[in-house]
Amino acid sequence: MIDLNRKTIPAFHTIEKLSFPEYQKIEIKNQLFLYALKAGTQAVIRLDFIFEAGLIHQLQTAQASFTSSMLSEGTQTKSALALAEALDYYGSYFQTRANADDAVATLYCLEKHLSNCLPIFMEALTQSVFPEKELDIQKKNSLSKLLVNEKKNSYLCKKNYYQKIYGEQHPYAAFGSKEDIQQLSKDKLISFYESNYMRGLKYVMVSGQFKENSIHIIAQEIKASVFERQVNATGHFTIQSTPGQHFIEKSDSVQSALRIGKISIGRNHVDFRKLQFLNLIFGGYFGSRLMKNIREDKGLTYGIYSVLEPNLHGASWYIDTDINTKNRTEGITEIYNEIKKIQSDPIPQSELETAKNYYLGSFLKSLDGPFSLADRLKIIIDNTLADTYYPEFVSILNSTSSKELQELAVKYFDTENIVEVVVGKK
Amino acid sequence: MLLPNGKVRFKPYNSHFALQTAGGESNAFTSNDITNYYVTLPANNIETGFWLESDRMLSLDFSEKSLSVQRNVVIEEFKERYLNQPYGDVWLRILPLAYKEHPYNWATIGKEISHIEQADLDQVKSFFFNFYAPNNAILVVAGNISLEETKRLCEKWFEPIPRRNTQINAYPQEPKQTEARKEHVYSDVPLNMIVKAYHMGGRLDTDYYACDLLSDILGGGKSAKFYNKLVKEKRLFSELDTYISGDADPGLFLIEGKLSKGVSFETAESAILEELELFKSELVSEKELTKVINKTETNIQFGDISLLNRAMKLAFAAFLGDINLANTEIDHYLAVNPETLQKVAKNMLVEENCSTLYYHAK
Repeated sequence: MIDLNRKTIPAFHTIEKLSFPEYQKIEIKNQLFLYALKAGTQAVIRLDFIFEAGLIHQLQTAQASFTSSMLSEGTQTKSALALAEALDYYGSYFQTRANADDAVATLYCLEKHLSNCLPIFMEALTQSVFPEKELDIQKKNSLSKLLVNEKKNSYLCKKNYYQKIYGEQHPYAAFGSKEDIQQLSKDKLISFYESNYMRGLKYVMVSGQFKENSIHIIAQEIKASVFERQVNATGHFTIQSTPGQHFIEKSDSVQSALRIGKISIGRNHVDFRKLQFLNLIFGGYFGSRLMKNIREDKGLTYGIYSVLEPNLHGASWYIDTDINTKNRTEGITEIYNEIKKIQSDPIPQSELETAKNYYLGSFLKSLDGPFSLADRLKIIIDNTLADTYYPEFVSILNSTSSKELQELAVKYFDTENIVEVVVGKK
Repeated sequence: MLLPNGKVRFKPYNSHFALQTAGGESNAFTSNDITNYYVTLPANNIETGFWLESDRMLSLDFSEKSLSVQRNVVIEEFKERYLNQPYGDVWLRILPLAYKEHPYNWATIGKEISHIEQADLDQVKSFFFNFYAPNNAILVVAGNISLEETKRLCEKWFEPIPRRNTQINAYPQEPKQTEARKEHVYSDVPLNMIVKAYHMGGRLDTDYYACDLLSDILGGGKSAKFYNKLVKEKRLFSELDTYISGDADPGLFLIEGKLSKGVSFETAESAILEELELFKSELVSEKELTKVINKTETNIQFGDISLLNRAMKLAFAAFLGDINLANTEIDHYLAVNPETLQKVAKNMLVEENCSTLYYHAK
């Protein structure tokens, strides 16, 4: 038997090169583009239509989310049920969501059913009628969901965090209240639909594994549609943080929800990728400092993460956890200790090396599937980044020193204007 | 079993750290049937995965400090998932109602926090040495690696681990339920909720696939019967879902719904029962059957995009003793016909086979 060395890790290779796969960019009509990204092994399709219809575009709270969820609720010729039956029959899924900066309508289907599903999907996107009756049902069910959400510490914490970090008037802090939902009218949805869907299609993206002919079918369908690319002006939004400690009492909770964070930088900032790496080391993965200290050493939580969230009209960096109420003060103190530590001591070389390899490895893993690649492509398009944005991570990570990271920590993890939201028992 | 759950687990931190240095990630979960450790890493570093997992099988870092920290972590997990969420304890309530003999009456994390608090090092050790044995494990390697290289690495890292005298007692099977079971719970939640759990066959039971399709026909999405009749038309529920537990041994077919404000349990439940009776009285159309089979095919194909998913599917098929199941799943669904669906519904969806939980908003 070979004498095994179980003590030290076997020789391994580091990742020297990352490549982002080729994709096609096809102009369908005047400035309206279809992006096609092929990857993976299964003959499946995800088709995304991206609209200027997110939180930043709405004129009234809950308008974006309801317009998005009502898209599948009926057209001039098909009821909500007829639409659902037609799409379900081919095993496809129709999903819509309103995000901070846009809204996305997605068709998932097997390639073999594309030509059957696509016309139905397009009909829903271009001929939606927002029936009063369906709106009424959605409002009622949405109010029920809101009641349940308001019982969740994590929901209350998130909502309050965004209100304190961006200011209550900022679109990112718009959480639909009972009144917001009740006040929504069919007319408000139709006007938003006409201005921000019919005249607000930004681009279309198809990902999965498919033949050229499928791209052709999709391109033809869009070409024949009423969609035109028109750039709508977006407003300017002022960020108004309220730094300091904010406590929301929930006397019946056995854990406290906690968010601590501050305004940060967006993807186009020169420091962004390095800061993302610093955040990884601090609280962005299982081997991070926050996890090691607060979960693995002290057992105060099931999980603790720090997140860098770069939206187009404001970015924030925050620490998020549900923590044992009894040791809450200790946990918060430890979080600040970790911030202080990463600002005052250079990160040891071995820790840097681990984080770097982990980061590149996880990128490599995401190359496995077409959809995570499509998500990254969307980031490139939305932020007008170069195609080299992701591959450059290798050289950026290789050239970033501990000293530089420490300087970034001082600059971006500065606790002076920090917002702290705690939801739980006193 | 000494420890009724495999949830008290150790993460040997140093080797975990080393795995990340090789660009890898690892995690684990415990279901009713298995504990699954998994590692993903760049193909040319696969040996690091063998090194980590074989070491984990050989022994663990059994220290009091490590146990005490992990105990606290799992207690926080218990609170986060089951206690600090509205309706979080539904699963903890429904399992012991539906199962009187079979160990599925335990949630994998334990029935209550004291079970986690009382887990001691001896229990953990004996559980580990009994169950985490090479003769009680299935290894799946998936990715850009040859069979020869896989064999070489298996022989190098796993062969030296001696087989253990694993004792797994036959689990008591659940006797046939003969009368309706009902339980009322009162909690600080905003809406009443009803859960109906029916016993169904196990993963290898011939009717398993029919049950799965049945749950899609009744409750899967916006064209499903329940959604259209009970959520939209009658507006009795704000949400109503059906799903199966998918366990290896006989599992559960569940109907779970939140009642609209002002609707009584009696009205809501009789509307469900009425739909079930209607369903049992007529055959499903070919069109509807094709629809749910097409949906299932989409789910399988989309699931197979991920290499990790494919590896896990293979592992579970091997665990069930029919490795080919990973390839033939869709054929089993295609073999279901309207008569089978009707027969299954008639046998299964009866009150004597059902445990009902009435979750009252206080």
